[in-house]
Amino acid sequence: MTLLSETVQYAISGITAGSIYAVIGICWSVVYLITKVLNFTTGEFVMLGGMLTWAFHTMGFGLPSSVLFAVACTIAISMLLERLVIRPIRFPTEMTYMMLTIASASVIKGLVLLQWGSESRRIEPFFGSGVIHFFGAGVTPQVLCVVAIMTLITLGLHLFLNHTLFGTALRASAINQTGAKLMGIDIGRFRLFCFGLAGGLGAVTGIVTAPITFTGYEIGLLTGLKGLVAAIAGGWSMTGTVAAALALGLLEGFGAGFVSSGLKDVLALIVMILFLILQTISFPGLRRR
Amino acid sequence: MNSKHRFSLLWVVFIVGLAVLPFVTPGTYVIGVMCFVAFYATLACGMAVLLEQAGIFSLAAPTFFGLGAYVAGILAAREILPPWAGIIFAALVVAAIAYIIGAPLLRLRGYYLACATFGLLFIVEIALAQSGEITGGHDGLMGIPPLSVVGFTLRGDFHYYFVSWVLCLGCLWFFFNMMNSRVGRAIKALHDSEVAASSVAINVPRFKLKVFVLTAVMASFAGSLYCFYLQFTTPSMFGFPLLVELLTMIVIGGATTLYGPVLGSVVLIWLREAIHVYLKGILPKLTAEVDAVFFGVLIVAILIFMPEGLAGGLDRLAHFGRRLLGKSA
Amino acid sequence: MASQPDSVLLDVQNVSRSFAGIRALNLVSFSVKRKKITAVIGPNGAGKSTLINVITGVYIPDSGGIHFGGSDIAGLPAHIVASKGIARTFQLEELFSSMTVIENAMTGCHGKTGSGMLACGFALPSARREEKRIREEAMECLAMVGLEEKALEPISRLPLGERKLVGIARALSMKPGFLMLDEPAGGLAGHEVERLVKLIHRLIEQGLTILLVEHNMPFVMSLSEKIVVLDAGVKIAEGTPEEVKNDERVIKAYLGQEL
Repeated sequence: MTLLSETVQYAISGITAGSIYAVIGICWSVVYLITKVLNFTTGEFVMLGGMLTWAFHTMGFGLPSSVLFAVACTIAISMLLERLVIRPIRFPTEMTYMMLTIASASVIKGLVLLQWGSESRRIEPFFGSGVIHFFGAGVTPQVLCVVAIMTLITLGLHLFLNHTLFGTALRASAINQTGAKLMGIDIGRFRLFCFGLAGGLGAVTGIVTAPITFTGYEIGLLTGLKGLVAAIAGGWSMTGTVAAALALGLLEGFGAGFVSSGLKDVLALIVMILFLILQTISFPGLRRR
Repeated sequence: MNSKHRFSLLWVVFIVGLAVLPFVTPGTYVIGVMCFVAFYATLACGMAVLLEQAGIFSLAAPTFFGLGAYVAGILAAREILPPWAGIIFAALVVAAIAYIIGAPLLRLRGYYLACATFGLLFIVEIALAQSGEITGGHDGLMGIPPLSVVGFTLRGDFHYYFVSWVLCLGCLWFFFNMMNSRVGRAIKALHDSEVAASSVAINVPRFKLKVFVLTAVMASFAGSLYCFYLQFTTPSMFGFPLLVELLTMIVIGGATTLYGPVLGSVVLIWLREAIHVYLKGILPKLTAEVDAVFFGVLIVAILIFMPEGLAGGLDRLAHFGRRLLGKSA
Repeated sequence: MASQPDSVLLDVQNVSRSFAGIRALNLVSFSVKRKKITAVIGPNGAGKSTLINVITGVYIPDSGGIHFGGSDIAGLPAHIVASKGIARTFQLEELFSSMTVIENAMTGCHGKTGSGMLACGFALPSARREEKRIREEAMECLAMVGLEEKALEPISRLPLGERKLVGIARALSMKPGFLMLDEPAGGLAGHEVERLVKLIHRLIEQGLTILLVEHNMPFVMSLSEKIVVLDAGVKIAEGTPEEVKNDERVIKAYLGQEL
């Protein structure tokens, strides 16, 4: 392989990863902005999407129906989580929210392990396994499909949030909950909707990526964390998250290609910590508040 | 004064109980399990002081525990330092790391600090697993010699039972003294109101860093002893499942008191044993991740139904009892 | 600063501070004389609390100088300013709510004590002796404000008036040379205000210098020897209560309010 083709190859994998992180990042921020819950189960939804599709598929369902069932189940689980775990809390603080979602994540992960074991699972590619070549780099149709679907989701969400009444109300309640309540908006329904949305989007992400990267009970946390990195670095806004996710994906792609694939996951987390530290460094005159 | 008395009486009962335990239980099974309780209680107490008293939302306790175990373990297994010197060296290394990481990170608040320390947890776990030549990689570090101090070698559960509980009770005693002194008040003050704390000349960032480094060092001591007790370590022992366990202990026991996390670790470790003994036939495998299912459910249930934890519940019960007694007298 | 007369304790010169483009303080200058009560008054949003926060180092002034006892304290971090002997109370109490009354007062002794974390944790004799001393000093301060009987109560059980006194006791236990009271009479009933007036007189007799930031006009007029009037971040008048009362700009700023 020439340097050019290598570069192209890494860039492709970087953009693919970036588009995935972008959608996962949006899952985090949708829930965080409306409910103030930092939802550590986000990554588990991604895992659930892939694993449930695999499970339904091996039970004999066709691929399309398996996908549908998996997404529906994940949305239901996500909404149940909001109703049964998040809502009944009497003294909601950041700490209890975090403990609750971390606990829920470990429950989901453990149950999947008990049910389907620790082996990596793979779903067959949706559009065959041919390879398209350009600049000496190879792209499978599945990769194109992932990037396309992720782009569609992002654009669709953008349109939904900015050009529908429901989306506008959602954004309004993210900015000012009391004000939104006074306008007669039912926040409780929004919270439920956001969890459902995050569950559904996470599941779709997990399903379309399962043919490329394999899936297994333990992939949730790290995948989810990378979405969180994108959301934090993007300042919880949609454009910011997408930009940060693409940058992170490319960094990872090139880092894994040119440096070491083993430390690829560490790279994202180090970026997160450095970014957080950078945020705390303020400039003269702004030292406090 | 009165509450102080009650406090010491409870502890006397507890310590006497611990002291006679090895002589009244058959074999070493109970004592072996109680070793784990001691290690975990030390860790959980430090974390609870950070979370609840100081309001520092740090999830790095498993990281420092693991670093303490690995540094001491590697030095001893490679015969670079004798085990006891390795423990001290590990504590110094962990203190330095906690200081370097803490200085910038502790400026973060709430969720952000939690995210950063959560990231740290994964970074260290992956780094330990990836640098196989030094750490033994995924398979773990083998060949850690037993701990020996001035010619006396610690062997078996019995010895470690005493050493681990001395460490645990020592840390508790230290925390108890500290929290009832000017340093403890400064720590509580910066949690209650940072602006008021600095108005009475408390250097808020410095005290945050101090208590962070202190708990890191205690975690390191516990980790070093833990690795000599088990004589082997793997990176996955210090990852996400341990964090869930620690959170469960703190939630079970309640973090507002010092004995809460100890109570929590007694309950949690024995619960884990019960799961392993009774559910062996039903569950196909019993890894830390499967345990975490039970602990996760427990965390959610307690936070919903008993947000103050067992210690809070006991306190309320005791208060109620005293009122009853007071009325009848 | 040698050029200043000895009697000036705090000297604020041309201090400005903006928030997001809004000038909360604009070239404010005044001085506080030793062992005297100086008051800062002004309508809501005049910049009174910002002034206290700038002096104590919670905010950094954009420009201007603040000299305390001859040394420049502008822009120093709050805990350093406090350690120089400047104590304060807060408009919104800001008490340590997880502690008892006496522990709040004991926390005030922080700057004058030095036992380290290890000495405290291992309960060394030196730390224990110091702890005993702190407790006695804190008790004295509570006695001064008349709360010694409530020493062991948690903060949450005290009524508002007594919580304000705890704030003062906490500030006093710092053994300050200069005390700033931010709306100490706010929300207090008549007899509680009387108690407060007596307390402030006693503190002046003991040699303390006091800066009073208040809303309650009769209270300020009866107590202060010098009054500084702020309006919209600008000093509009300065003088004795009599002078201020008859100043046209002050009357305008307080239009419709009883002076």
